[in-house]
Amino acid sequence: MTSIDLPRRAVLGTAAGAVAAACLTGCGDSGDDHPAPRERKKGQKITLSFWSWVPGIDKPVALWNRRNPEVQVTVEQVSAVDGEQYAKMHAAIKAGNPPDLGQIEFPVIPSFLLDNGLLDLAPLGAARHKDKFFGWQWRQSVFGKGIYAIPQASGPMGLFVRQDLFEKWDVPVPTTWDAYEAAAKKIRKKGAWIETFSATNGNRLAGLAWQAGAKWYATKGDTWLISIDDEPTRKVADYWEALVRQKLIKTIPDRQDAWYKDLQTGAIPAWVGASWGDALLVGNAPGTKGKWRAAPLPQWKPGGRTFANWGGSTTAVFAKAPYPKDALDFAVWLNTDPESIALLIEGGYGFPSAKKGYATGALDVDKAFFGGQEYSKIFADAGAHVDTSWQWGPGVDTLYQRLGDAFTDALGTGASFRSVLAKVQGQTIADLKGKGLKVESGA
Amino acid sequence: MSRDTLSRPEPVARRAPDGARPARRISRTEARNARAAAGFVLPFLALFALCFLAPIVYAVYQSLHKTERTGPLGLGGQEHEVFAGLANYTHALSDDQFLAGFGRVLLFGAVQVPLMIVLATALALLLEGASARGIPFFRSAFFLPYGVPGVIASILWGFLYVPGISPLVKIAQSVGWDVDFLARGTVLWSIANIVTWQFTGYNMLVLIAQLKSVPEELYEAARIDGANAWQVARHVKLPLIRPALVLTGVFSIIGTLQLFAEPKVLRPLASSIDSGFTPNLHAYSEAFVGNNQHVAAAEAVLLALVACVASFVFLRLVGGRGKERG
Repeated sequence: MTSIDLPRRAVLGTAAGAVAAACLTGCGDSGDDHPAPRERKKGQKITLSFWSWVPGIDKPVALWNRRNPEVQVTVEQVSAVDGEQYAKMHAAIKAGNPPDLGQIEFPVIPSFLLDNGLLDLAPLGAARHKDKFFGWQWRQSVFGKGIYAIPQASGPMGLFVRQDLFEKWDVPVPTTWDAYEAAAKKIRKKGAWIETFSATNGNRLAGLAWQAGAKWYATKGDTWLISIDDEPTRKVADYWEALVRQKLIKTIPDRQDAWYKDLQTGAIPAWVGASWGDALLVGNAPGTKGKWRAAPLPQWKPGGRTFANWGGSTTAVFAKAPYPKDALDFAVWLNTDPESIALLIEGGYGFPSAKKGYATGALDVDKAFFGGQEYSKIFADAGAHVDTSWQWGPGVDTLYQRLGDAFTDALGTGASFRSVLAKVQGQTIADLKGKGLKVESGA
Repeated sequence: MSRDTLSRPEPVARRAPDGARPARRISRTEARNARAAAGFVLPFLALFALCFLAPIVYAVYQSLHKTERTGPLGLGGQEHEVFAGLANYTHALSDDQFLAGFGRVLLFGAVQVPLMIVLATALALLLEGASARGIPFFRSAFFLPYGVPGVIASILWGFLYVPGISPLVKIAQSVGWDVDFLARGTVLWSIANIVTWQFTGYNMLVLIAQLKSVPEELYEAARIDGANAWQVARHVKLPLIRPALVLTGVFSIIGTLQLFAEPKVLRPLASSIDSGFTPNLHAYSEAFVGNNQHVAAAEAVLLALVACVASFVFLRLVGGRGKERG
């Protein structure tokens, strides 16, 4: 009997301890409901927590920690699969224990504002850093008079191709979408697929719609205008649907094992990607070194120069951060200090948002992989021709999920891609109304 | 067992009213007993309230409220919770995707649960009836998958399902069978396979445990009556392990409704699983992608109700005959 009793008692003890601990942290949090913006005393040592998924982010952070013994930053690597990092952040905000800083992409900033999750950096004087960054990227985190994040990187879009295979099959690298379709046909005849249409990749679709001139979100007074089902997006949807229905393109999810294997074996010799895609290719198709090239994103009109952006992220300070000034200082340093940027580029984090502090050439991290091509010039040019009026709104995570579900459904049932847009347009308006926002259809 | 403990207090209750013995002494012992009982029960009740009742109450509370926002464009303004009545429930119940998820898990349960229980029973009877060496090895081998967490199991099976990587697909294709485990029509059964792989051994072990408690004399008697192995299994063993079968059945039904890890893990690999594939996944998406904790709470409450009703119906269906025997 006693032998059973002992562990039971031990279990109870542990459980009670856990309960007590939960209560303690709970009490601590509720006490912090109205935090006076604390200033760090001179010489006081503090630690800031930072959630990020950027590869190699620990290196610039380590540099900061060496230089700033009083303000230490600890990085927690979070999963970026399927938007899990944002689920975790939203949950932490709800639970009252978010980190001090977080890696947040442009599109989801408004969702966090809806949560009152981000600290307005304007009262801390963030505006004086404005000129250090590309204007349109700075504006991605400005809403009204508030400044809610420090831009870090963007993702100008381009086309990655397997030069060797395109040459072997005598397929010219497409410069227009019509040429892309023609290339798809030729490649299909060789037994490969030009690439994949990933139903769940709302990010890329947004970029392609952006290139075509769509404006999914706009504002009129205090009303959000939603235009997912607008003419430019329909054009894009029709185009990809035609490729899918003619079976010229695969429909497996991208950036998954099967897709990486196809890249490695040459079953998929192209990818409409973004500047940060170089690191993905290098890391996941090492056997194809020297065979890839970057090309400009195909255009709708021959000779056109309209480009788009896929991804791009910021360093944001969460609303309850006890030492906001130090957090802001770190965020600005991380994204403007030349040494920090050099380390971030090495990690493969995308195109710097800072205007100075790096040379374009430094971005050709994997030049050898691209056969010596100075591929970052392609993306720099794309970045300079991105339509800078594109704006994001709240609920983008839900929008992507809706798109993913509807495209998944359309691929299975044969429903038209246009019907997907119409459906998601309606759902998005209903979702935002459900969140208590004023919403209208802008399409 | 339970009948014994229930009948024990009766004499005390009968003794009290007649007042033949000094009531004080009894009440003192009773008080001491009550204090001791409270001492044992209170920690349990506290934990029960904290870990079980409180979350349920909070979920129900959340499900009856909604967030209202003010401020320019709804951003950065004030937000407060207001009473929403049953709005979240009507929202959930008018969501086609959520309802489709229920249809899917019910279909899943109708096929997978009986299959798994039959399989587990067959394995249990075989391993219990055989007297060969190596039985413990096979018992552990069948049980082993249960030791693998559901997420890991799903990742493992995911590799076996994804075309281009999977050796299974390659083998199938080499014999001319073009199989896609992750296609729209098959993915549910690929998930059923993972669940069956994981839990058959577990259920088998529960059944074996009950088989072990059957007195040997019953088998002897059956054999003397001339019953063969099949007849012993059919007419002696199966009726006697009925409680274990009911138990595993209820657990499996509840488990089916809670289906989450498998579709969640396979979703990025398969273009056929949407974000509301099962009710649980739908509630998760509402809460953590859509940030609609209130709707998610309503969905969780609905899910619990359905699990409750399903278990109850199942117990009624199988319990009726059990009582006749008892």
